[in-house]
Amino acid sequence: MKKILIIEDDKSISKELKELLDNAEFNAIILEDFENSFEEIKKQNPDLILLDINIPSLNGEILLKKIRKESNVPIIMVTSKNTEADEVLSMSYGADDYITKPYNPTILLLRINAIFKRMENKNTVLTYNDLVIDPKKGIIKNEKEELILTKNEMIIFTFLLANRGNIVTRDDLMTELWNNNSYINDNALNVNISRLRTKLTDFGYVDTIETRKGQGYILK
Amino acid sequence: MKLSKYLKTNFLIILLFIVIIAIINLILISFKTNEQAIIGVNLTAIIGFILSTIYDFNRRKKFYSKFLNNLELLDKKYLITEMIEKTNFYEGEILYDALYEIDKSMAEEIKNYSLSLVDFKEYIEMWIHEVKLPLASLNLIVHNHKELSDKKIVEQLKRIDDDVEQVLYYVRSENAQKDYLIKETKISKVISNVAMKNKDILLENNINLEVEVGDKKVLTDSKWLEFIVNQIISNSIKYIKKGVEHYIKITAKENEKSIILKIYDNGIGIKKSDIPKVFDKTFTGNNGRKIETSTGMGLYITKQLCKKLGHKVTIDSKENEYTEVSIFFNKDDFLYVAK
Repeated sequence: MKKILIIEDDKSISKELKELLDNAEFNAIILEDFENSFEEIKKQNPDLILLDINIPSLNGEILLKKIRKESNVPIIMVTSKNTEADEVLSMSYGADDYITKPYNPTILLLRINAIFKRMENKNTVLTYNDLVIDPKKGIIKNEKEELILTKNEMIIFTFLLANRGNIVTRDDLMTELWNNNSYINDNALNVNISRLRTKLTDFGYVDTIETRKGQGYILK
Repeated sequence: MKLSKYLKTNFLIILLFIVIIAIINLILISFKTNEQAIIGVNLTAIIGFILSTIYDFNRRKKFYSKFLNNLELLDKKYLITEMIEKTNFYEGEILYDALYEIDKSMAEEIKNYSLSLVDFKEYIEMWIHEVKLPLASLNLIVHNHKELSDKKIVEQLKRIDDDVEQVLYYVRSENAQKDYLIKETKISKVISNVAMKNKDILLENNINLEVEVGDKKVLTDSKWLEFIVNQIISNSIKYIKKGVEHYIKITAKENEKSIILKIYDNGIGIKKSDIPKVFDKTFTGNNGRKIETSTGMGLYITKQLCKKLGHKVTIDSKENEYTEVSIFFNKDDFLYVAK
Protein backbone atom coordinates (compact mmCIF):
# COMPACT_ATOMS: atom_id res chain seq x y z
CA MET A 1 0.00 0.00 0.00
CA LYS A 2 1.32 3.41 -0.94
CA LYS A 3 1.99 5.72 1.93
CA ILE A 4 0.78 9.30 1.53
CA LEU A 5 1.70 12.03 3.96
CA ILE A 6 -0.79 14.87 4.45
CA ILE A 7 0.75 18.17 5.48
CA GLU A 8 -2.22 20.39 6.19
CA ASP A 9 -3.01 22.42 9.31
CA ASP A 10 -6.79 22.59 8.88
CA LYS A 11 -7.90 19.70 11.05
CA SER A 12 -11.21 19.14 9.30
CA ILE A 13 -9.59 18.98 5.86
CA SER A 14 -6.79 16.68 6.90
CA LYS A 15 -9.22 14.33 8.60
CA GLU A 16 -11.50 14.12 5.54
CA LEU A 17 -8.51 13.89 3.25
CA LYS A 18 -7.25 10.91 5.22
CA GLU A 19 -10.65 9.26 4.93
CA LEU A 20 -10.73 9.89 1.18
CA LEU A 21 -7.27 8.41 0.71
CA ASP A 22 -7.88 5.48 3.02
CA ASN A 23 -11.06 4.65 1.11
CA ALA A 24 -9.02 4.74 -2.10
CA GLU A 25 -6.73 2.14 -0.56
CA PHE A 26 -3.81 4.32 0.29
CA ASN A 27 -2.14 4.47 3.64
CA ALA A 28 -2.68 8.10 4.62
CA ILE A 29 -0.80 9.70 7.48
CA ILE A 30 -1.36 13.18 8.87
CA LEU A 31 1.65 15.22 9.89
CA GLU A 32 1.08 16.41 13.45
CA ASP A 33 4.29 18.12 14.44
CA PHE A 34 4.80 21.18 12.28
CA GLU A 35 7.73 22.37 14.37
CA ASN A 36 9.86 19.48 13.20
CA SER A 37 8.10 18.85 9.89
CA PHE A 38 11.25 18.11 7.97
CA GLU A 39 12.54 15.48 10.41
CA GLU A 40 9.04 14.01 10.63
CA ILE A 41 8.89 13.61 6.84
CA LYS A 42 12.23 11.84 6.79
CA LYS A 43 11.08 9.53 9.53
CA GLN A 44 7.82 8.66 7.80
CA ASN A 45 9.48 8.19 4.41
CA PRO A 46 6.22 8.49 2.41
CA ASP A 47 5.65 7.55 -1.25
CA LEU A 48 3.92 10.88 -1.90
CA ILE A 49 3.33 14.13 -0.05
CA LEU A 50 0.29 16.41 -0.18
CA LEU A 51 1.61 19.78 0.88
CA ASP A 52 -0.24 22.96 1.74
CA ILE A 53 1.53 26.31 1.37
CA ASN A 54 0.02 28.04 4.40
CA ILE A 55 1.22 25.86 7.23
CA PRO A 56 2.55 26.87 10.62
CA SER A 57 6.23 27.18 11.33
CA LEU A 58 7.98 26.43 8.04
CA ASN A 59 6.10 27.77 4.99
CA GLY A 60 5.13 25.12 2.43
CA GLU A 61 7.24 26.52 -0.37
CA ILE A 62 10.34 26.60 1.79
CA LEU A 63 9.63 23.11 3.07
CA LEU A 64 9.25 21.94 -0.53
CA LYS A 65 12.62 23.41 -1.40
CA LYS A 66 14.19 21.75 1.60
CA ILE A 67 12.73 18.33 0.78
CA ARG A 68 13.88 18.58 -2.81
CA LYS A 69 17.47 19.03 -1.73
CA GLU A 70 17.45 15.53 -0.32
CA SER A 71 14.66 13.57 -1.94
CA ASN A 72 12.72 13.05 -5.14
CA VAL A 73 9.51 11.93 -3.43
CA PRO A 74 6.50 13.11 -5.47
CA ILE A 75 4.91 16.24 -3.99
CA ILE A 76 1.51 17.68 -4.85
CA MET A 77 0.91 21.19 -3.63
CA VAL A 78 -2.66 21.46 -2.37
CA THR A 79 -3.41 25.03 -1.51
CA SER A 80 -5.91 27.84 -1.53
CA LYS A 81 -3.37 30.27 -2.99
CA ASN A 82 -4.74 30.40 -6.47
CA THR A 83 -2.24 32.55 -8.32
CA GLU A 84 -0.05 31.88 -11.31
CA ALA A 85 2.97 33.19 -9.40
CA ASP A 86 2.53 30.68 -6.59
CA GLU A 87 2.07 27.85 -9.04
CA VAL A 88 5.10 28.80 -11.10
CA LEU A 89 7.17 29.15 -7.95
CA SER A 90 6.06 25.78 -6.58
CA MET A 91 6.72 24.02 -9.87
CA SER A 92 10.13 25.62 -10.15
CA TYR A 93 10.95 24.38 -6.66
CA GLY A 94 10.20 20.90 -7.92
CA ALA A 95 6.56 20.18 -7.07
CA ASP A 96 5.01 17.49 -9.27
CA ASP A 97 1.55 19.01 -9.37
CA TYR A 98 -0.39 21.98 -8.07
CA ILE A 99 -4.05 21.79 -7.07
CA THR A 100 -6.11 24.60 -5.62
CA LYS A 101 -8.78 24.36 -2.95
CA PRO A 102 -11.61 23.65 -3.12
CA TYR A 103 -10.91 20.75 -5.43
CA ASN A 104 -12.97 17.90 -6.73
CA PRO A 105 -11.89 14.88 -4.60
CA THR A 106 -12.07 12.56 -7.61
CA ILE A 107 -9.66 14.82 -9.45
CA LEU A 108 -7.24 14.75 -6.56
CA LEU A 109 -7.28 10.94 -6.64
CA LEU A 110 -6.79 10.96 -10.40
CA ARG A 111 -3.78 13.25 -10.09
CA ILE A 112 -2.28 11.09 -7.36
CA ASN A 113 -2.77 7.96 -9.43
CA ALA A 114 -1.35 9.70 -12.49
CA ILE A 115 1.84 10.44 -10.62
CA PHE A 116 2.21 6.88 -9.38
CA LYS A 117 1.46 5.60 -12.86
CA ARG A 118 4.06 7.91 -14.36
CA MET A 119 6.63 6.55 -11.95
CA GLU A 120 5.87 2.91 -12.62
CA ASN A 121 4.84 3.03 -16.23
CA LYS A 122 8.40 2.99 -17.47
CA ASN A 123 8.53 -0.76 -17.88
CA THR A 124 5.17 -2.26 -17.03
CA VAL A 125 2.80 -3.34 -19.77
CA LEU A 126 -0.97 -3.13 -19.32
CA THR A 127 -2.58 -6.54 -19.62
CA TYR A 128 -6.01 -8.08 -19.20
CA ASN A 129 -5.95 -11.90 -19.08
CA ASP A 130 -4.31 -12.79 -22.40
CA LEU A 131 -4.81 -9.32 -23.85
CA VAL A 132 -2.10 -6.71 -24.11
CA ILE A 133 -3.24 -3.10 -24.06
CA ASP A 134 -1.45 -0.25 -25.77
CA PRO A 135 -3.32 2.92 -24.75
CA LYS A 136 -1.15 5.22 -26.84
CA LYS A 137 -1.90 3.38 -30.06
CA GLY A 138 -5.46 2.66 -29.02
CA ILE A 139 -4.99 -1.08 -29.55
CA ILE A 140 -5.87 -4.23 -27.65
CA LYS A 141 -4.34 -7.42 -28.95
CA ASN A 142 -3.85 -11.08 -28.25
CA GLU A 143 -1.41 -13.33 -30.07
CA LYS A 144 -3.49 -13.47 -33.23
CA GLU A 145 -5.59 -10.38 -33.58
CA GLU A 146 -5.66 -6.65 -32.97
CA LEU A 147 -8.65 -4.63 -31.88
CA ILE A 148 -8.84 -0.89 -32.39
CA LEU A 149 -10.57 1.16 -29.71
CA THR A 150 -11.61 4.78 -29.97
CA LYS A 151 -10.10 7.30 -27.57
CA ASN A 152 -13.13 7.26 -25.29
CA GLU A 153 -13.42 3.47 -25.30
CA MET A 154 -9.77 3.22 -24.37
CA ILE A 155 -10.14 5.69 -21.50
CA ILE A 156 -13.11 3.71 -20.16
CA PHE A 157 -11.38 0.36 -20.55
CA THR A 158 -8.10 1.36 -18.93
CA PHE A 159 -9.95 3.03 -16.07
CA LEU A 160 -12.06 -0.07 -15.44
CA LEU A 161 -8.91 -2.15 -15.69
CA ALA A 162 -7.07 0.00 -13.17
CA ASN A 163 -9.97 -0.60 -10.76
CA ARG A 164 -10.51 -4.21 -11.79
CA GLY A 165 -12.75 -6.11 -9.43
CA ASN A 166 -14.09 -2.93 -7.86
CA ILE A 167 -17.21 -1.01 -8.73
CA VAL A 168 -16.53 2.12 -10.75
CA THR A 169 -19.32 4.70 -10.57
CA ARG A 170 -20.61 6.48 -13.63
CA ASP A 171 -19.50 9.71 -12.00
CA ASP A 172 -15.93 8.44 -11.66
CA LEU A 173 -15.93 7.32 -15.28
CA MET A 174 -17.31 10.66 -16.35
CA THR A 175 -14.65 12.49 -14.32
CA GLU A 176 -11.92 10.38 -15.91
CA LEU A 177 -13.25 11.09 -19.40
CA TRP A 178 -13.65 14.82 -18.82
CA ASN A 179 -10.22 14.90 -17.25
CA ASN A 180 -8.92 13.59 -20.58
CA ASN A 181 -10.67 16.35 -22.53
CA SER A 182 -13.54 14.12 -23.66
CA TYR A 183 -16.53 16.20 -22.67
CA ILE A 184 -19.20 13.61 -23.38
CA ASN A 185 -22.71 13.42 -21.97
CA ASP A 186 -24.62 10.59 -20.32
CA ASN A 187 -25.97 9.20 -23.59
CA ALA A 188 -22.56 9.13 -25.17
CA LEU A 189 -21.21 7.28 -22.15
CA ASN A 190 -23.90 4.61 -22.62
CA VAL A 191 -23.07 4.34 -26.30
CA ASN A 192 -19.35 4.05 -25.61
CA ILE A 193 -19.81 1.37 -22.99
CA SER A 194 -22.10 -0.71 -25.17
CA ARG A 195 -19.71 -0.40 -28.14
CA LEU A 196 -16.82 -1.42 -25.91
CA ARG A 197 -18.84 -4.44 -24.77
CA THR A 198 -19.59 -5.43 -28.35
CA LYS A 199 -15.94 -5.16 -29.31
CA LEU A 200 -14.86 -7.26 -26.33
CA THR A 201 -17.58 -9.80 -27.10
CA ASP A 202 -16.28 -10.07 -30.67
CA PHE A 203 -12.94 -10.83 -29.15
CA GLY A 204 -14.37 -13.63 -27.09
CA TYR A 205 -14.84 -11.76 -23.86
CA VAL A 206 -18.57 -11.98 -23.19
CA ASP A 207 -20.11 -10.05 -20.26
CA THR A 208 -16.78 -8.84 -18.95
CA ILE A 209 -18.18 -5.43 -18.04
CA GLU A 210 -20.99 -5.96 -15.61
CA THR A 211 -23.57 -3.31 -14.77
CA ARG A 212 -24.35 -2.91 -11.08
CA LYS A 213 -27.68 -1.19 -11.00
CA GLY A 214 -27.59 2.23 -9.32
CA GLN A 215 -23.90 1.80 -8.54
CA GLY A 216 -21.83 1.61 -11.66
CA TYR A 217 -19.73 -0.86 -13.61
CA ILE A 218 -17.28 -3.55 -12.74
CA LEU A 219 -14.68 -5.27 -14.89
CA LYS A 220 -14.45 -8.95 -14.09
CA MET B 1 -6.70 86.35 -21.10
CA LYS B 2 -8.72 89.09 -22.67
CA LEU B 3 -7.80 92.78 -22.58
CA SER B 4 -11.42 93.91 -22.28
CA LYS B 5 -11.97 91.75 -19.20
CA TYR B 6 -8.68 92.89 -17.73
CA LEU B 7 -9.71 96.53 -18.19
CA LYS B 8 -13.07 95.79 -16.68
CA THR B 9 -11.58 94.33 -13.51
CA ASN B 10 -9.20 97.30 -13.32
CA PHE B 11 -12.10 99.71 -13.86
CA LEU B 12 -11.67 101.43 -10.47
CA ILE B 13 -7.97 102.13 -11.04
CA ILE B 14 -8.72 103.64 -14.45
CA LEU B 15 -11.52 105.70 -12.96
CA LEU B 16 -9.22 106.87 -10.16
CA PHE B 17 -6.58 107.81 -12.74
CA ILE B 18 -9.13 109.86 -14.73
CA VAL B 19 -10.29 111.63 -11.57
CA ILE B 20 -6.70 112.41 -10.57
CA ILE B 21 -5.94 113.76 -14.09
CA ALA B 22 -9.08 115.88 -13.85
CA ILE B 23 -8.06 117.23 -10.45
CA ILE B 24 -4.52 117.97 -11.70
CA ASN B 25 -5.99 119.78 -14.69
CA LEU B 26 -8.26 121.78 -12.44
CA ILE B 27 -5.33 122.75 -10.23
CA LEU B 28 -3.16 123.62 -13.24
CA ILE B 29 -5.97 125.72 -14.77
CA SER B 30 -6.74 127.45 -11.50
CA PHE B 31 -3.07 128.42 -11.26
CA LYS B 32 -3.31 129.75 -14.85
CA THR B 33 -0.55 127.46 -16.06
CA ASN B 34 0.66 127.68 -19.60
CA GLU B 35 -1.60 125.67 -21.96
CA GLN B 36 1.28 123.76 -23.54
CA ALA B 37 2.52 122.73 -20.15
CA ILE B 38 -0.94 121.36 -19.32
CA ILE B 39 -0.94 119.29 -22.54
CA GLY B 40 2.58 118.08 -21.77
CA VAL B 41 1.63 116.98 -18.28
CA ASN B 42 -1.53 115.28 -19.55
CA LEU B 43 0.27 113.42 -22.36
CA THR B 44 3.06 112.25 -20.07
CA ALA B 45 0.64 111.02 -17.48
CA ILE B 46 -1.70 109.26 -19.96
CA ILE B 47 1.08 107.62 -22.00
CA GLY B 48 2.77 106.55 -18.77
CA PHE B 49 -0.41 105.04 -17.49
CA ILE B 50 -1.16 103.23 -20.75
CA LEU B 51 2.36 101.82 -20.96
CA SER B 52 2.32 100.57 -17.40
CA THR B 53 -1.09 98.99 -17.98
CA ILE B 54 0.10 97.25 -21.12
CA TYR B 55 3.22 95.98 -19.34
CA ASP B 56 1.19 94.68 -16.45
CA PHE B 57 -1.38 93.06 -18.76
CA ASN B 58 1.28 91.39 -20.86
CA ARG B 59 3.20 89.70 -18.12
CA ARG B 60 -0.01 88.40 -16.62
CA LYS B 61 -1.25 87.28 -20.00
CA LYS B 62 2.01 85.49 -20.71
CA PHE B 63 1.83 83.60 -17.43
CA TYR B 64 -1.86 82.75 -17.37
CA SER B 65 -2.11 81.86 -21.06
CA LYS B 66 0.70 79.38 -20.66
CA PHE B 67 -0.89 78.09 -17.45
CA LEU B 68 -4.31 77.61 -19.02
CA ASN B 69 -2.86 76.13 -22.17
CA ASN B 70 -0.85 73.57 -20.22
CA LEU B 71 -3.85 72.77 -18.09
CA GLU B 72 -5.87 72.03 -21.17
CA LEU B 73 -3.20 69.78 -22.63
CA LEU B 74 -2.80 67.81 -19.43
CA ASP B 75 -4.63 64.54 -19.07
CA LYS B 76 -4.10 64.52 -15.34
CA LYS B 77 -4.81 68.10 -14.32
CA TYR B 78 -3.17 67.82 -10.94
CA LEU B 79 0.23 67.57 -12.58
CA ILE B 80 0.00 71.28 -13.46
CA THR B 81 2.31 72.22 -10.61
CA GLU B 82 5.10 70.41 -12.42
CA MET B 83 4.67 72.66 -15.45
CA ILE B 84 4.16 76.07 -13.86
CA GLU B 85 7.06 78.52 -14.18
CA LYS B 86 8.17 80.87 -11.47
CA THR B 87 6.74 84.36 -12.06
CA ASN B 88 7.96 87.85 -11.46
CA PHE B 89 4.72 89.21 -10.04
CA TYR B 90 3.16 88.72 -6.69
CA GLU B 91 -0.21 87.10 -7.54
CA GLY B 92 1.46 84.50 -9.70
CA GLU B 93 3.69 83.55 -6.82
CA ILE B 94 0.69 83.20 -4.53
CA LEU B 95 -1.02 80.97 -7.09
CA TYR B 96 2.09 78.86 -7.52
CA ASP B 97 2.58 78.35 -3.80
CA ALA B 98 -1.12 77.70 -3.19
CA LEU B 99 -1.37 75.11 -5.95
CA TYR B 100 1.75 73.43 -4.68
CA GLU B 101 0.31 73.21 -1.18
CA ILE B 102 -3.06 71.96 -2.44
CA ASP B 103 -1.40 69.29 -4.54
CA LYS B 104 0.77 68.16 -1.71
CA SER B 105 -2.09 67.75 0.71
CA MET B 106 -4.19 66.02 -1.96
CA ALA B 107 -1.35 63.61 -2.67
CA GLU B 108 -1.17 62.76 1.02
CA GLU B 109 -4.90 62.24 1.17
CA ILE B 110 -4.82 59.96 -1.87
CA LYS B 111 -1.93 58.04 -0.42
CA ASN B 112 -3.95 57.37 2.72
CA TYR B 113 -6.82 56.09 0.65
CA SER B 114 -4.70 53.92 -1.56
CA LEU B 115 -2.97 52.46 1.46
CA SER B 116 -6.26 51.62 3.08
CA LEU B 117 -7.38 50.13 -0.24
CA VAL B 118 -4.29 47.95 -0.37
CA ASP B 119 -4.96 46.88 3.19
CA PHE B 120 -8.52 46.06 2.29
CA LYS B 121 -7.44 44.10 -0.75
CA GLU B 122 -4.97 42.11 1.30
CA TYR B 123 -7.63 41.41 3.87
CA ILE B 124 -10.09 40.25 1.21
CA GLU B 125 -7.49 37.97 -0.38
CA MET B 126 -6.62 36.52 2.98
CA TRP B 127 -10.27 36.09 3.86
CA ILE B 128 -10.91 34.32 0.57
CA HIS B 129 -8.07 31.89 1.24
CA GLU B 130 -9.60 31.28 4.64
CA VAL B 131 -13.11 30.68 3.33
CA LYS B 132 -11.77 28.19 0.79
CA LEU B 133 -10.78 25.90 3.63
CA PRO B 134 -14.31 25.10 4.85
CA LEU B 135 -15.32 24.84 1.20
CA ALA B 136 -12.60 22.29 0.53
CA SER B 137 -13.53 20.50 3.70
CA LEU B 138 -17.21 20.40 2.73
CA ASN B 139 -16.35 19.04 -0.71
CA LEU B 140 -14.41 16.22 0.92
CA ILE B 141 -17.15 15.52 3.46
CA VAL B 142 -19.76 15.33 0.72
CA HIS B 143 -17.54 12.96 -1.22
CA ASN B 144 -16.69 10.76 1.76
CA HIS B 145 -20.20 10.51 3.13
CA LYS B 146 -22.32 9.76 0.10
CA GLU B 147 -25.11 8.56 2.36
CA LEU B 148 -25.84 12.02 3.74
CA SER B 149 -25.29 14.06 0.63
CA ASP B 150 -26.09 14.42 -3.02
CA LYS B 151 -25.18 16.38 -6.13
CA LYS B 152 -27.29 19.33 -5.11
CA ILE B 153 -24.95 20.13 -2.25
CA VAL B 154 -21.95 19.96 -4.56
CA GLU B 155 -23.70 22.35 -6.95
CA GLN B 156 -24.41 24.84 -4.19
CA LEU B 157 -20.82 24.56 -3.00
CA LYS B 158 -19.68 25.36 -6.49
CA ARG B 159 -21.93 28.39 -6.51
CA ILE B 160 -20.38 29.67 -3.30
CA ASP B 161 -16.93 29.08 -4.72
CA ASP B 162 -17.79 30.96 -7.91
CA ASP B 163 -19.16 33.90 -5.97
CA VAL B 164 -16.18 34.02 -3.65
CA GLU B 165 -13.87 33.86 -6.64
CA GLN B 166 -15.76 36.74 -8.24
CA VAL B 167 -15.04 38.95 -5.23
CA LEU B 168 -11.37 38.03 -5.42
CA TYR B 169 -11.10 38.92 -9.09
CA TYR B 170 -13.16 42.07 -8.65
CA VAL B 171 -10.64 43.28 -6.09
CA ARG B 172 -7.80 42.30 -8.37
CA SER B 173 -9.32 43.97 -11.42
CA GLU B 174 -9.94 47.26 -9.58
CA ASN B 175 -6.50 47.39 -8.09
CA ALA B 176 -3.59 49.15 -9.67
CA GLN B 177 -1.16 46.52 -8.50
CA LYS B 178 0.11 44.10 -11.07
CA ASP B 179 -0.65 40.72 -9.58
CA TYR B 180 -0.83 38.61 -12.66
CA LEU B 181 1.88 36.71 -14.46
CA ILE B 182 1.86 36.37 -18.21
CA LYS B 183 3.21 33.18 -19.64
CA GLU B 184 2.59 30.85 -22.52
CA THR B 185 -0.57 28.92 -21.73
CA LYS B 186 -2.29 26.07 -23.51
CA ILE B 187 -5.92 27.01 -24.18
CA SER B 188 -7.01 23.38 -23.91
CA LYS B 189 -5.62 23.19 -20.37
CA VAL B 190 -7.60 26.23 -19.28
CA ILE B 191 -10.77 24.91 -20.91
CA SER B 192 -10.22 21.51 -19.31
CA ASN B 193 -10.03 23.02 -15.82
CA VAL B 194 -13.15 25.11 -16.38
CA ALA B 195 -15.02 22.15 -17.91
CA MET B 196 -14.11 20.01 -14.94
CA LYS B 197 -15.41 22.65 -12.53
CA ASN B 198 -18.71 22.80 -14.39
CA LYS B 199 -19.00 19.11 -15.24
CA ASP B 200 -21.85 18.27 -12.88
CA ILE B 201 -23.99 21.28 -13.67
CA LEU B 202 -23.46 20.82 -17.43
CA LEU B 203 -24.44 17.15 -17.28
CA GLU B 204 -27.35 17.90 -14.96
CA ASN B 205 -28.76 20.44 -17.39
CA ASN B 206 -28.07 18.33 -20.49
CA ILE B 207 -25.77 20.90 -21.98
CA ASN B 208 -23.34 19.49 -24.52
CA LEU B 209 -19.87 20.90 -24.44
CA GLU B 210 -18.00 20.89 -27.73
CA VAL B 211 -14.39 21.92 -27.60
CA GLU B 212 -12.18 22.41 -30.63
CA VAL B 213 -9.21 24.43 -29.58
CA GLY B 214 -6.38 22.19 -30.75
CA ASP B 215 -2.94 22.80 -29.30
CA LYS B 216 -3.05 26.57 -29.53
CA LYS B 217 -1.09 28.52 -26.96
CA VAL B 218 -1.63 32.11 -25.88
CA LEU B 219 0.21 34.60 -23.70
CA THR B 220 -1.87 35.16 -20.59
CA ASP B 221 -2.23 34.47 -16.89
CA SER B 222 -3.81 31.03 -16.84
CA LYS B 223 -5.66 31.55 -13.54
CA TRP B 224 -7.15 34.82 -14.71
CA LEU B 225 -8.15 33.31 -18.01
CA GLU B 226 -9.72 30.39 -16.17
CA PHE B 227 -11.81 32.83 -14.18
CA ILE B 228 -12.80 34.71 -17.34
CA VAL B 229 -13.82 31.56 -19.23
CA ASN B 230 -15.66 30.31 -16.15
CA GLN B 231 -17.66 33.54 -16.02
CA ILE B 232 -18.64 33.24 -19.66
CA ILE B 233 -19.57 29.57 -19.40
CA SER B 234 -21.51 30.21 -16.18
CA ASN B 235 -23.53 32.77 -18.11
CA SER B 236 -24.14 30.26 -20.90
CA ILE B 237 -25.40 27.78 -18.32
CA LYS B 238 -27.51 30.39 -16.55
CA TYR B 239 -29.21 31.63 -19.72
CA ILE B 240 -30.15 28.39 -21.46
CA LYS B 241 -33.20 28.31 -23.70
CA LYS B 242 -35.97 25.87 -22.99
CA GLY B 243 -37.15 23.36 -25.56
CA VAL B 244 -33.96 22.89 -27.55
CA GLU B 245 -30.89 20.73 -27.25
CA HIS B 246 -28.46 22.98 -25.42
CA TYR B 247 -24.87 23.28 -26.40
CA ILE B 248 -21.79 25.37 -25.75
CA LYS B 249 -19.16 25.37 -28.42
CA ILE B 250 -15.64 26.55 -27.74
CA THR B 251 -13.31 27.12 -30.66
CA ALA B 252 -9.97 28.80 -31.24
CA LYS B 253 -9.09 30.55 -34.47
CA GLU B 254 -5.99 32.30 -35.63
CA ASN B 255 -5.20 35.17 -37.96
CA GLU B 256 -2.00 37.16 -38.59
CA LYS B 257 -2.44 39.40 -35.59
CA SER B 258 -4.21 37.37 -33.00
CA ILE B 259 -5.58 34.13 -31.65
CA ILE B 260 -9.31 34.29 -31.02
CA LEU B 261 -11.08 32.15 -28.46
CA LYS B 262 -14.79 31.94 -29.17
CA ILE B 263 -17.42 30.67 -26.77
CA TYR B 264 -20.74 30.14 -28.46
CA ASP B 265 -24.02 29.03 -26.92
CA ASN B 266 -27.52 28.56 -28.27
CA GLY B 267 -29.12 30.16 -25.23
CA ILE B 268 -31.68 32.90 -24.90
CA GLY B 269 -29.31 35.49 -26.35
CA ILE B 270 -29.22 39.19 -25.55
CA LYS B 271 -31.61 41.91 -26.65
CA LYS B 272 -29.96 44.06 -29.31
CA SER B 273 -30.35 47.27 -27.34
CA ASP B 274 -28.70 45.62 -24.31
CA ILE B 275 -25.58 44.40 -26.11
CA PRO B 276 -23.56 47.65 -25.91
CA LYS B 277 -24.15 47.78 -22.16
CA VAL B 278 -23.41 44.19 -21.08
CA PHE B 279 -19.86 45.02 -19.98
CA ASP B 280 -21.05 47.93 -17.81
CA LYS B 281 -20.82 47.61 -14.06
CA THR B 282 -24.02 46.29 -12.43
CA PHE B 283 -25.89 46.25 -15.75
CA THR B 284 -28.38 43.38 -15.75
CA GLY B 285 -30.73 44.37 -18.54
CA ASN B 286 -33.57 42.35 -19.93
CA ASN B 287 -32.10 38.93 -19.13
CA GLY B 288 -31.23 40.01 -15.59
CA ARG B 289 -34.87 40.65 -14.91
CA LYS B 290 -35.70 37.08 -15.87
CA ILE B 291 -33.03 35.49 -13.71
CA GLU B 292 -32.73 36.53 -10.10
CA THR B 293 -29.10 35.74 -9.53
CA SER B 294 -27.80 38.28 -12.02
CA THR B 295 -25.54 40.83 -10.41
CA GLY B 296 -24.22 42.53 -13.50
CA MET B 297 -20.68 42.05 -12.24
CA GLY B 298 -19.44 38.97 -14.12
CA LEU B 299 -18.95 40.49 -17.53
CA TYR B 300 -17.79 43.80 -16.07
CA ILE B 301 -14.99 42.03 -14.20
CA THR B 302 -14.26 39.95 -17.30
CA LYS B 303 -13.76 43.10 -19.34
CA GLN B 304 -11.56 44.72 -16.68
CA LEU B 305 -9.36 41.65 -16.41
CA CYS B 306 -9.04 41.39 -20.19
CA LYS B 307 -8.06 45.04 -20.33
CA LYS B 308 -5.33 44.47 -17.76
CA LEU B 309 -4.01 41.41 -19.54
CA GLY B 310 -4.11 43.23 -22.88
CA HIS B 311 -6.79 41.02 -24.44
CA LYS B 312 -9.81 42.34 -26.28
CA VAL B 313 -13.22 40.90 -25.49
CA THR B 314 -16.33 41.30 -27.62
CA ILE B 315 -19.83 39.94 -27.54
CA ASP B 316 -22.16 39.11 -30.35
CA SER B 317 -25.70 37.87 -29.92
CA LYS B 318 -29.13 37.48 -31.39
CA GLU B 319 -32.09 37.33 -29.07
CA ASN B 320 -33.55 33.82 -28.76
CA GLU B 321 -30.79 32.36 -30.94
CA TYR B 322 -27.24 32.59 -29.70
CA THR B 323 -24.55 34.41 -27.77
CA GLU B 324 -20.92 34.38 -28.79
CA VAL B 325 -18.15 35.86 -26.67
CA SER B 326 -14.76 36.31 -28.35
CA ILE B 327 -11.46 36.91 -26.62
CA PHE B 328 -8.61 38.21 -28.75
CA PHE B 329 -5.06 37.38 -27.70
CA ASN B 330 -2.27 39.31 -29.33
CA LYS B 331 0.45 37.31 -30.92
CA ASP B 332 3.70 38.54 -29.56
CA ASP B 333 6.33 38.75 -32.28
CA PHE B 334 9.07 39.36 -29.76
CA LEU B 335 8.46 36.02 -28.15
CA TYR B 336 9.12 34.23 -31.39
CA VAL B 337 12.19 36.34 -32.07
CA ALA B 338 13.51 35.42 -28.64
CA LYS B 339 12.93 31.78 -29.37
